[in-house]
Amino acid sequence: MIMRLFILSVLLFSQALFADSYLIKNGRLVTMGMQGVIENGDIHIVDGRIVEVAQEINPESMDEVIDAGGAYVTPGLFDSGTQLGLAEVEKYVGSTDNRVKGQPLGAGFSPALALNRYSSFVPMVRKEGITRAMVLPVTGSEILAGQSALVQLGGNAPFSTNDGNAVHLYLREVDRKLAGGSQASALTQAVNSLKEAERFGKNKRAYQSGKTREFRQSENDLKTLLQVLNRDMTLVIHLDRAADIETVIAELNVFNIRLVIAGGREAWKVKELLAEREIPVVLNVIDNLPSRFDRLGARLDNAALLVGAGVKVAFMTQDLYSDTRSLTQAAGVAVAYGLTWHQAMKAITVNPAAIWGLENYGSLEAGQVADIVIWDGDPLEVMSAPTRLMIDGRWINLTTRQDLLRDRYSDLDKQDIPFGYR
Amino acid sequence: MGNQVSRLKVSLHLVLLFLVTHATAEEGRYQSTYKARQAPDTLIHSATLFTGDGGVIEAGYIKMAGGTIEAVGSGMPATLDNLDTALDASGKWVTPGIIDVHSHLGDYPSPRYRPHLDGNEATAPVTAEVWAEHSVWPQDPQFPLALAGGVTTLQILPGSANLFGGRSVVVKNVSSRTVQGMKFPGAHHGLKMACGENPKLVYGEKGGPKTRMGNFAGYRQAWINALEYQAKWQNYREDLAQFESATKEDKEKKKPSPPKRDLSMETLVEVLEGRILVHNHCYRADEMAQMIDLSKEFGYRITAFHHAVEAYKVADLLAANNICAAMWADWGRFKLESFDAVKENVSLVHKASACAIVHSDSATGIQRLNQEAAKSLAAGRRMGLNISEAEAFAWITLNPARALGIDERTGSLAEGKMADVVVWNGSPFSVYSRVEKVYIDGSLVYDLEKDLKPVSDFELGHRVRGL
Repeated sequence: MIMRLFILSVLLFSQALFADSYLIKNGRLVTMGMQGVIENGDIHIVDGRIVEVAQEINPESMDEVIDAGGAYVTPGLFDSGTQLGLAEVEKYVGSTDNRVKGQPLGAGFSPALALNRYSSFVPMVRKEGITRAMVLPVTGSEILAGQSALVQLGGNAPFSTNDGNAVHLYLREVDRKLAGGSQASALTQAVNSLKEAERFGKNKRAYQSGKTREFRQSENDLKTLLQVLNRDMTLVIHLDRAADIETVIAELNVFNIRLVIAGGREAWKVKELLAEREIPVVLNVIDNLPSRFDRLGARLDNAALLVGAGVKVAFMTQDLYSDTRSLTQAAGVAVAYGLTWHQAMKAITVNPAAIWGLENYGSLEAGQVADIVIWDGDPLEVMSAPTRLMIDGRWINLTTRQDLLRDRYSDLDKQDIPFGYR
Repeated sequence: MGNQVSRLKVSLHLVLLFLVTHATAEEGRYQSTYKARQAPDTLIHSATLFTGDGGVIEAGYIKMAGGTIEAVGSGMPATLDNLDTALDASGKWVTPGIIDVHSHLGDYPSPRYRPHLDGNEATAPVTAEVWAEHSVWPQDPQFPLALAGGVTTLQILPGSANLFGGRSVVVKNVSSRTVQGMKFPGAHHGLKMACGENPKLVYGEKGGPKTRMGNFAGYRQAWINALEYQAKWQNYREDLAQFESATKEDKEKKKPSPPKRDLSMETLVEVLEGRILVHNHCYRADEMAQMIDLSKEFGYRITAFHHAVEAYKVADLLAANNICAAMWADWGRFKLESFDAVKENVSLVHKASACAIVHSDSATGIQRLNQEAAKSLAAGRRMGLNISEAEAFAWITLNPARALGIDERTGSLAEGKMADVVVWNGSPFSVYSRVEKVYIDGSLVYDLEKDLKPVSDFELGHRVRGL
């Protein structure tokens, strides 16, 4: 008897860990792959992976069958620029781990080390249908601000799936003061930093025995930039002004590196150049204000114009907290301003997967990690929300701290129980 | 008896004198010079109308004549005489112009450099003497962007660094060389007050207040000063009245001289006398409750709490005190006092029968207040609250009009009101819909199809129009 219980519990345990299998039936499957959109289609998931996507699947055994009832089913969405997990509250409270100041640390800075996967903010972001994000550093005292991390917002995998995937260089108008005050000095400093890393790479042994002349950057920084030069990491350049985009592309031409433009408020003006060089652009769609002289050309149809010219785009919400809620809204606005619905979906699924070099994510296709969202409406509509969400093959409880607050105060007329006990 | 009559006479006299002095004080000073443009009489028909007061009319029409709304109804009007233009709006939505009760357009304009940061007179915790309109740059390119989002009226406030930030101004979103040319005719000034984090953090190391209790002492002292100031002027007016009605011999007495004017106190006294409406930046529920007590101590009314992130915790209290709550759909966690933001906030306040408003406080947010209302509505419905789209549309039209004291004149599609009207190419509750036409006082000021848009001086030669 005891043995039998033991075996049973082992079975249950292993079932939970190793043999989860699900069938999502009757979904409006937005596969983002070759199969396009399948109406009333089925997805078969085993052990955290999608094993089949088809019009109809009838597997022999299944842990759970979920009838989507014709609802939209999409891959988990991707925010290509956020600082989630790097602070609990944006302003004035405790540490904000998204920047480094006054330390000999630039490109080598990795805020991923400070990520708090247990923050109550993570469930709030998941509730928007987001399962992956690029968590990026912002400028402290260096224009080379550090490395970003790709995070997966739940599931079996570690929170940060790929630290040091990209290095972030800030060359916006507001960043110049960190590097001599001129766009020219900032760009020169950036180029020199890369050249220094090149020298470091060629003279590693001499460096280790102290036989090289002193480098401006720390060893951490040099090693990081060496990875950029080796194309193991991407260089993400945050800048907006069209003329600066042209200059930066020309100046960095001597290096054979992978470039991504982030921000890119005037990128539409140089869209042919970006298309020709195959440089992707990561956009904050809704920021169309001419709030600085390097953003005079900001406009809501930037994404549509870029995509029309053949540039690959991805969307980011960019700031620490406030706007992560609005990734789908931003994508919807891009559609209202000329982007096709499918292209907008690509900008928050397969395009970031391609830009950031993520394998096995971004589409509903056999072999992909099961990051799946079932929605109560069109995912880009402001009135829609996920009803169920799976990360890495696991259903995620969508309850947030905010839901608990709402429930506590949902009936103010009930006077008998103090709020603290509700 | 005779004494009573003469007292009545004196007080009547005082009222008259007050009205006269008040009128002369305002006349010619900073008055609105806005004049509605000559507009053709226009009929828009076959559209879905959200009337702004909670109503919806399917296949309805609106007739605008002489700058005002002449008729609203279903089907077609009885007569089509005297029409200059008729627009078939089948498949489109027609709503009142959107009203943003909380904006800093013009006082924090784009481009946003230090010489342009004109929103916060953060030099002392009480600056009730400043007027936001003296900071507003009418060439702010953010005005046309807001117009493309259907915003026809907005309140521009001073920032929240101070306990008393100064006077707000209500403007129509029209192209004008001067702010006077934008001012909503006859609208009240508002007084910006601020609770919580901002004042104490700004002044904590600059002589205080450094704490919330310090904030509170600051409000109370200012109101005490205002009451004293009010009494001083009342005494002066009484003395003056006595002097002027006195006999010849008495006239040898010296004519009383007026007290020294104090601009800050003038603002607070106008609040006490009901001519300026209080717009109180206040996030936390407990602080709202305290501010209500404060208003009762000094006998003024709070018109609206702004950024009322925790309004859902005290929605009953707001309803009982007839105070509006102006809220974001889902902004939160950017500071400690916004940590408890919930998406259901607006819907919960609405369901408690309090006056719910969706506001922006943002030059991007103001461009899509309809979407913010949609998000708030969706969250409410998801928790089971039964609210219609038509009701929710009041959150960005009639309710903010109420909070600005202009609900008799705009904020809904009702006969006799200003013809501030938006035509949408789809449901305003969809992210894909765009504003197609905007009329202000019956005049077509924005037309997506005809590329009719105001272009600010700053944008000229810099930007592609209105995107």
